[in-house]
Amino acid sequence: MRAEPKTILRFLFEYFEPLRDLLEAQTTDGLIRKEILKAVCESRSVSIQNQLMEYKILRSINEDFEFHSVYKNLIEFIISEFRPLLPETIEKYNSSIYKLFQKIRDDADGDKEILKQRITDLGSEIRTFAELVERNTIGLLKETRNIKANIEKVDYKEKIIRASRWIDEYIVPLNKILDANHSESVTNKLNDVGQFVNIKRLGLEDEQLRLQFEQLYQLVISTNDTLLKQSRILTTELLPLIDRIRTESIILTGWIEFLEKPEKYSTPPILKSAKVFAYSEDVFLNTKEFFEQFSKEETIFLDEAELPREKWIFNKKYYKSRLKESLPVTDFFSWCGQTLADEYGKTETHKFFELINLIFENDLDLTFGENTEAIKLKMDKTTIKFPKISIIKNG
Amino acid sequence: MAEYPTHHREIVDGLLGGRFILHSDKLFDEIKEREDFYKSFFLQSFGYTLKITQQYAYVSSDESNETLSRDFSIFFAILCYELDKSGKNFLDELEYGYYEYSQIDSLFENSSYSELIATNNKLKDSNARKNLLNDMSRRNIIEKESDDTFTITPAYKVFTEFAEEIAKSRTKDNLQKQ
Repeated sequence: MRAEPKTILRFLFEYFEPLRDLLEAQTTDGLIRKEILKAVCESRSVSIQNQLMEYKILRSINEDFEFHSVYKNLIEFIISEFRPLLPETIEKYNSSIYKLFQKIRDDADGDKEILKQRITDLGSEIRTFAELVERNTIGLLKETRNIKANIEKVDYKEKIIRASRWIDEYIVPLNKILDANHSESVTNKLNDVGQFVNIKRLGLEDEQLRLQFEQLYQLVISTNDTLLKQSRILTTELLPLIDRIRTESIILTGWIEFLEKPEKYSTPPILKSAKVFAYSEDVFLNTKEFFEQFSKEETIFLDEAELPREKWIFNKKYYKSRLKESLPVTDFFSWCGQTLADEYGKTETHKFFELINLIFENDLDLTFGENTEAIKLKMDKTTIKFPKISIIKNG
Repeated sequence: MAEYPTHHREIVDGLLGGRFILHSDKLFDEIKEREDFYKSFFLQSFGYTLKITQQYAYVSSDESNETLSRDFSIFFAILCYELDKSGKNFLDELEYGYYEYSQIDSLFENSSYSELIATNNKLKDSNARKNLLNDMSRRNIIEKESDDTFTITPAYKVFTEFAEEIAKSRTKDNLQKQ
């Protein structure tokens, strides 16, 4: 009888360390020899051989064992231990992706069910491809950082041999797969897929198909981002490996080891700063620092907010008749100022400029005196100069 | 009554605040002059160890701020790694380099340690890094030159020495395995 899923998960949790040891053994030897299985169980003081078989975590190969791929992938994924794959293993996705794409493109008007299945399969192939590339880059970064750190203290010649092997066999071929400038690269094929899918996701009548194309389009876009990131790591960090391993530093060796598992090391004991209380002396400096970040001074112009004023309606007929009653007027602008001052107690500029419009009335006879000296009129907020204009009589 | 150095209170406040007192500071000379007194003072009064080198003084203890120290260490580790990757002599850069915040952002955003950076609250983005640098400035590990620039003080050596120790112990482990 098959075990309960939670029982298997609990088993994985409880015996994770021996499982990790077994995976390491398989990575080194290609399989888990029965002596190794026994030795791991003894060193960890566990007896788990039966469960390993019962839960189908291991399968036997003659007298030895190996992990079922699903558990191998899971543990590798959890501990981020990826052994770089030869690019040939990844390159096969180039043809599988393109073949599926060609079928979708050439048979887009054919059987809808088949088309839907192909779109799903294409998505799955693209996803697997992107994951493999990502895992491979992580694996390559780890291997190349090890060469740079050189914990094993291998000599320079040996370092160059190892680095060259990684570059020639893994890094350069992987770069070709990802290089957008290379016509046969997967990145280029994905661009073709993206262009086609982009048109289909907008133009199809069948809603379900349109939705599937939309999902595929989003997948292609995010995969392109992932590949671009991996490609950047390849060109900036992995391809220049030979140059980078020329220099060696014990400090960098330590840092590379530390960054591998930062939680594993006790870092320099730096004193906790004391708790800051509102009455502590530090409060002044801390507050000052906080406010200083906003202290970039900018010129600020303040407009005095004016109180909303009641709109004044200029009664032209009324003022014109008052003007006519006052004729002759020797100084029209002073008359306007005085009239408003009599009526409102002050001469407000906006009322003044409305009132002086009377000057354009056709039936008034204007004359300019010989004296060209301007007269000054004081308003509520300003003083303005005007020429002296007289109005003699009705026109 | 015992006579204390002129700036005794400033020295004690600074060191207890987790600050490095640098050789360029007048307080450093006073500590150096009364090295034995201060070592004993911090040990007897608080149980802390005062460490004095030619370039800085600081106190350390078991009551250390483990998380912050780890964040500082990761910061220096990635900085050194990325400077080396870009073909620079990272030790010269630590000693004499003049950094802009934008340059630090660019180094961290293009780093292949992106997963580690993204999951660290003090390094995950530009604002978080600015806060971390403020913490470092408060402790005199970096010195702010302006709102956007800073230099690294000799206090970095505490962290590079830590890296050296890791390398030595790992190499030793490895030789023992062989």
